[in-house]
Amino acid sequence: MAVMTEGPAYGYEMTKRLRARGLSTVGEGSIYPLLGRLERDGLVETRRAASNGGPPRKYYSLSPAGERALETGRREWQLARDAVDGALDLVKAEVGP
Amino acid sequence: MNEFVDECRREWRRLGVPDPIANEMTADLTADIEEAESEGGTAEDVLGNSAFDPRRFAGSWAVARGVTAPPAPPTPTSPTRWWPALAFGLMGCAALLALAAAVLVGGHQTSASAVSVRRFVGGPTSIHVVPGSPIVLQHFQHFPGIALFAVLMLLLGIAGIGIAVFYGFRWNGGRIGPWEIRRHHGRSGAHWT
Repeated sequence: MAVMTEGPAYGYEMTKRLRARGLSTVGEGSIYPLLGRLERDGLVETRRAASNGGPPRKYYSLSPAGERALETGRREWQLARDAVDGALDLVKAEVGP
Repeated sequence: MNEFVDECRREWRRLGVPDPIANEMTADLTADIEEAESEGGTAEDVLGNSAFDPRRFAGSWAVARGVTAPPAPPTPTSPTRWWPALAFGLMGCAALLALAAAVLVGGHQTSASAVSVRRFVGGPTSIHVVPGSPIVLQHFQHFPGIALFAVLMLLLGIAGIGIAVFYGFRWNGGRIGPWEIRRHHGRSGAHWT
């Protein structure tokens, strides 16, 4: 969902955006069912538009509900990351010089 | 059209996905694969490991879009279905115990007969007879009733335990311990794990 904040994108375009951030295994193959689920849950909006010289593509962008869900997910991720970082800092302090 | 897309299309038809939605998914997938190929890539760049399992990929996409029902969970096993396994197992064990008893009784009688013979001819008064040894089998020849009973019990025991294992295997949902026999349909054909 975060890569959609860069702008509407079709399936393969999102795969490429994820790959550019080192998340290739997230995008490959699983992106289509994931987008289908987001669409079914009303978290993305879609429109069909012509791509650069290619056939019309289905572009996905975040809906207002999707933006709220993204914000909630981001907060939860930061909390989880801070907790893990705190635990790892303890380990570093114990084994450090 | 790409072979992978063809296979997806067949799977959507089989799952009863409405044509307009199947057409849309087909168009999106075809366009993405063509774009990857035009950039020098392959379908695997778009689909990852899913490129080797079109049916599974097509099914999960259709389920995610809510246009087909998710696969039904395995039917819960009726709690009464383990009774046949237990019943046949007990029957087999009882039969084998009866067989063992028949062999032991036959061996004991043979031992007693052998001691009598040795006493008569002046030989040692102690002789060790192992059940199932030729002496016991010879003894069975003199007691055909016990021999027939032993053979019947042996057959009954083997049949009972065999049927118990069969029912137990079915009751366990096709699993042998922690292992499970499943069939996958991939591009390379069906295989077992």
